[in-house]
Amino acid sequence: MTLAHYLAVGSGLFLIGVFGALTRRNIIGILMSVELMFNAANINLAAFDRFLHPGGVAGQSLALFVIAVAAAEVVVGLALLLAIYRNADTVYAEDFNLLKG
Amino acid sequence: MFEQIVFWSLAALTLGSALCVVLMRNTVHSSLFLGLSLAGVAGLYGSLGADFLFAAQIMVYVSGIAVLIMFAVMLLGRASDLHLRQVNDRWMAALLVCGVSAVGLCKVAASFRLAFATTPTKPGTHALGRLFLGEYLLPFELVSLVLLAALLGAVFFTHSEKA
Repeated sequence: MTLAHYLAVGSGLFLIGVFGALTRRNIIGILMSVELMFNAANINLAAFDRFLHPGGVAGQSLALFVIAVAAAEVVVGLALLLAIYRNADTVYAEDFNLLKG
Repeated sequence: MFEQIVFWSLAALTLGSALCVVLMRNTVHSSLFLGLSLAGVAGLYGSLGADFLFAAQIMVYVSGIAVLIMFAVMLLGRASDLHLRQVNDRWMAALLVCGVSAVGLCKVAASFRLAFATTPTKPGTHALGRLFLGEYLLPFELVSLVLLAALLGAVFFTHSEKA
């Protein structure tokens, strides 16, 4: 296994996430796609650590920061979503047009 | 040989269930596949020898975030969602964007095809602990502040006026 294999898996996961974030109508689907993109970045960080910086853990520590920030992001995102759902009564992104007046 | 079997099966699991996350019509199924895909990513961390990352991925993502998203799906969904289209009408443009980016990303990945691992994997938890409480102490403490802010934000946003 070379670094290219892991980078290819990371790129595939990232592109699947981009496709989902661009095309899903359901806002929870968009949040799930964003999580996939975070994970793709983390795979790349761990792979660069293993192949280009053997014995080091700097990439892994960066991936752990990403995991912590992603956890915070998903909590705030779902809380906002619950608050919007209570007002607008929908989970579809194109119906969130409160600011259009 | 064994390493290759592990890598390809984990890659197939991760990418296949990620595709299901994006394409499934039923959001409950998609959130279940999200958990599977995140577990596949945890397996890839294991195959890279990142032991602490593997444990953190299982604890935070598979048993935390995936379950939280599943709760939200079950709270916010309704039965009529199963009959509605879950993909908007710009999916061709999105596919084009992804195809063009895939070519670029493949070029970048191919430039590393001669990077083999030279040393055996070794546990990194001890070194990570040293790094977090030494060189990265300030970012480590800032992350705890971010988590506290997220906690308060979640409570603030879900707080209903009547209660």
